[in-house]
Amino acid sequence: MMRKNEPIVQIKNLSKKINNKTIIDDLSFELFPGEVYGFLGPNGAGKTTTIRMMVGLMEATKGQVFIKGQSIQKDFKNAIAEVGGIVENPEMYKFLSGYKNLVHYSRMVKGVSKERIDQVVQLVGLENRIHEKVKNYSLGMRQRLGLAQALLHSPSLLILDEPTNGLDPSGIHEIRNYLRKIAHEDGVSVLVSSHLLSEMEMMCDRIAIIQNGKLIDVQTVDDFVGRDLQVKGRFTVVPVDKAKTILETAYQDKKIEVKEDIIALDIEKEDVPAVVSLLVKNDIRIYSVQANAMTLEEKFLEVTGGNQIV
Amino acid sequence: MSSLLKLIQNENMKIYYRIGTWVMVILLLIAVIGMGIFVKTTSDENDNWQVAVQTDIKRLQAQKEKTESFKFMNEEVLKSYDRQIEIKEYRLANNIPPLPADSFWGFINESSNLTSFVTLFTIVIAAGMVASEFSWGTIKLLLIRPVSRSKILLSKYLSTLLFAFSLLAVLFLSSALTGGLLFGFDSVSQPHLTYTDGAVKEVGMLQNMIGIYGLNSVDLVILSTFAFMMSSVFRSSSLAIGLSIFLMFIGPQISNLLRNYEWSKYILFANTNLRQYIDGIPFMEGMTMTFSISVLIGYFVIFVSLSWLAFTKRDVTA
Repeated sequence: MMRKNEPIVQIKNLSKKINNKTIIDDLSFELFPGEVYGFLGPNGAGKTTTIRMMVGLMEATKGQVFIKGQSIQKDFKNAIAEVGGIVENPEMYKFLSGYKNLVHYSRMVKGVSKERIDQVVQLVGLENRIHEKVKNYSLGMRQRLGLAQALLHSPSLLILDEPTNGLDPSGIHEIRNYLRKIAHEDGVSVLVSSHLLSEMEMMCDRIAIIQNGKLIDVQTVDDFVGRDLQVKGRFTVVPVDKAKTILETAYQDKKIEVKEDIIALDIEKEDVPAVVSLLVKNDIRIYSVQANAMTLEEKFLEVTGGNQIV
Repeated sequence: MSSLLKLIQNENMKIYYRIGTWVMVILLLIAVIGMGIFVKTTSDENDNWQVAVQTDIKRLQAQKEKTESFKFMNEEVLKSYDRQIEIKEYRLANNIPPLPADSFWGFINESSNLTSFVTLFTIVIAAGMVASEFSWGTIKLLLIRPVSRSKILLSKYLSTLLFAFSLLAVLFLSSALTGGLLFGFDSVSQPHLTYTDGAVKEVGMLQNMIGIYGLNSVDLVILSTFAFMMSSVFRSSSLAIGLSIFLMFIGPQISNLLRNYEWSKYILFANTNLRQYIDGIPFMEGMTMTFSISVLIGYFVIFVSLSWLAFTKRDVTA
């Protein structure tokens, strides 16, 4: 992974209290150039509040946000010039055409030419409908227009809340590839918040889990998912009781579940052959073996203690 | 500076690309034309204006005598009668007929009453200026640009005023056109009579009309600013429209009811009508133009400060 020395974003001990209730509690993390960073958490965990503080829509009760070394609180104009984003839904002026919306935002920054607008329109694939009024757009098209306004001034940091919401599968695929491309090729940092876990798995390089305003864990997707290490082993065996006793003695620290004639346990991938030969040696008949990598969702539920993600 | 112009350009785009805005402009035009037709059909031909003026003078003198017999008479009221009588006598002496409503200037003067439409429509626009961005959700995209919130607010306020004065210009020009077409341009060169420094004077009619529209726009600006403040503080356009229009209609009545209290002269609506110092009776004895302008500036500063505080200091949670 490209990880250049200087972080694009530094969040230091960020806290937000509203009416004495702590919404965000001492959050610290960093984003590096060229990485797609996932923000994962159940509804109400504080993802959007954190994003709002990062872009200066909300004031932090404590702590600081630096973008390219500039404080969003003290040097707002210079810091925010590096940021493009969508906060929550891509809400645009519905009575204006998509193009007029982009012209509107281009007037608020320096150095966005007409050519740049056309370029961005093409990039998000809206060239055929850009002169139509936004009220006739589908949610997917609005999402694309939202992305276009965020990219207009070529920011160093792209913040997207639920970027694939409302897109059809091919649109999701396109956006996902595009985000990975601008991150990995152009060195843009991308912060994505989503509750679509499978999406996050495919899109992000690192994932941060937030719950109740606290950062619980930050891991690279590979570590997190443990694609090559941790698997959920399922063995269809007869007799199942005997097999359970054998495995319980051999793997005392593991939790072993039995459902009908299936024994399930979480083990290292490397241990699967050992389990099989142990069972064979003890005259257990094996009908099938499954060793699936744990999905992010399972992992997420494990980390957050099984809290529902809506 | 150029960035402020671009922001104003943006705000104007957001005002004039909405159908509602043009509906209001058309309603104003309909009101002017409708009034023109009304005046045209109801005006009676009266060639002998001298007789009418003489009757007026007699009526005013009778009223003046009646007022003098009151125990608690108001000096200002008597003065006002004197002024009116003197102007009318000047008309007879110099052969200057009074302006009928069915003349070019007369109609423009008449339609200056439609400024309240302009105020009403500007309130609607001003009330939505900040609040709509919140209800549309676009405020979240608007404020994450390298522009300070103060500058965005300023551009919104200036665009509101620009709208107000454009609408006022539409009113003036359309009533000039309607007046000219319906009643001819015969009275164009007729002077206006004012009473200044103890004598009747002739001034240009255009100057007089600009004065009338200018004084009417005081009310326009202060109520628009009030609606703009409501929009920024409550972030709800319906609340801002409702309260502002309520005040626009009820405010003058309330200040009249409270006229007996000395402090009522500090009420906004006791001061918005600056014409009271030129050809009317002041709201309260001892009030002057300078006093009213100071009070108005005071209110203006409060409205603008509250708008600014609410817009720049509060979290955006929409």
